[in-house]
Amino acid sequence: MSTTDIGPKGSATQAGEAVVNFVDDRTAATTGIGWFLKRNIPGETSWFQTLGFAAMAVFGLQAVTGIVLAMYYKPDPTTAYGSIRHITDDVTWGWLVRGMHKWGASAMIILVFLHMARVFIFGSYKYPRELTWVTGALLLIMVMFMGLTGYLLVWDQKAYWATVVAMNITASAPIIGPYIADILRGGTTFNSDSLSRFYAIHMLVIPGGIATFIGLHLFLVSKLGISEPPWSKRSTRARRAEEAAARAAARQRGPRGRHEVTVDPEPQTLTAEAGQ
Amino acid sequence: MADSQGNDAQNGQPKGQYSGPRAIDPVEEHSHDDDPDFITRTRFLSGVAVAGGAVLTAAILVPIVGFAVSDSVKNPPDRWVDIGPMSNFPDGQTTSIAVSGLSQISDARAFVRNKGGQLIAIWNRCAHLGCPVEYFKGGDNYVCPCHGGAYDSLGLVVGGPPPRPLDRFNVKVVNTTGQAVGGVGSVHGSWSTAVVGPTDHLLIGSAFSINQNQQAYGLHDPGEPVTGVLSHLYPFS
Repeated sequence: MSTTDIGPKGSATQAGEAVVNFVDDRTAATTGIGWFLKRNIPGETSWFQTLGFAAMAVFGLQAVTGIVLAMYYKPDPTTAYGSIRHITDDVTWGWLVRGMHKWGASAMIILVFLHMARVFIFGSYKYPRELTWVTGALLLIMVMFMGLTGYLLVWDQKAYWATVVAMNITASAPIIGPYIADILRGGTTFNSDSLSRFYAIHMLVIPGGIATFIGLHLFLVSKLGISEPPWSKRSTRARRAEEAAARAAARQRGPRGRHEVTVDPEPQTLTAEAGQ
Repeated sequence: MADSQGNDAQNGQPKGQYSGPRAIDPVEEHSHDDDPDFITRTRFLSGVAVAGGAVLTAAILVPIVGFAVSDSVKNPPDRWVDIGPMSNFPDGQTTSIAVSGLSQISDARAFVRNKGGQLIAIWNRCAHLGCPVEYFKGGDNYVCPCHGGAYDSLGLVVGGPPPRPLDRFNVKVVNTTGQAVGGVGSVHGSWSTAVVGPTDHLLIGSAFSINQNQQAYGLHDPGEPVTGVLSHLYPFS
């Protein structure tokens, strides 16, 4: 740092600084990025706290591979399976991109659950991070919905009947279950509109919701900071110091909260009590 | 506002010093800011903006939600589908036939049971969670591959998780001129075959659910019992 500051700046450096300053003067972007990324974190932060970012990275992978898969996939009952075969067998690297999307889906579910287990075991959901947990729970529901709707799109026998069963499980929820199932499959039974409806939910409705809630989730993480693990040596030391201070203060205090030890003016009362 | 003990902030006049006439009388402000019941111009216009925004949002959202949802919860219209002459469904046998064009139902298969002078068309949709049941000729029974639901010859539950028997289709037999023939059977949706000839055509229509005594109920989704306490969980079926 110090050595590069010596001497006149090169024209490329000056141009770069000018662009950065132009944007920064109008957006305060460096302040926001600094607020978001350059936060203090506990000294005992470990790899366990990276699971959430890993899940988000896989979401990015799913978004990108999903976008390019949508360029070849045809959400129609008569063409869907054929287009899947076309992607897998004919398109260059189609097998790879489809495989990334398929295995990425499993990886995302696993990472999301590991992340949730980390938060639960560390007690990170406690005050003041309850709303971070709530937005995370909504993200979990949306991720599961992605799994459900994406599973159908392959449109083979397993996908079809597994989704029929899943919709009938939905329909067996009391009172509103039948309506939710009807709305999801676009009819009172599984029909030719169900596939395109699931496709729209899978690639338009839920990704928007997930992106929105990831934003909220990250804002809360950034605002509240990340928590220490419950076995943190630093917090244990601090707690022990507090307890020691409290004990020392208690020793300083006299009986009945007085700060100075004085002679009891009525010793006979104590005697009477002792006699009872 | 003005503190009764201290200075009057609006007049800048210390209390208790001078109470005679003044060159300029302070103008009393008619502010209604602290009156929660008075509708100021700002409050009125804010209300108009909120109400107008709500109306515009509703004008956009109502058609969108109605378009996405309303046809989904509607029951499809009844339709009769001709599934062939009676000679295809010989007496004493249960014949499996795929049915297409029956309302919105896709992948529907009917097991037409022509036995003991009665015609019954059983839907292959398992009453548990909707998997397709398979008919076994040897045992004259139905078994679901998903979770092991088992039904007897009439589609009544003999084992596994299904909460009610297999659903049935209404059946109708018409002669070559399209006139309905045949008598009414003892069970809703089944017909006596006494007066049915081999050239008459069999039609199947809307589906309905039954209980273990073969009493008819409205069509229920899979997983919903038609009798007992749990049937009240689905008041709109």
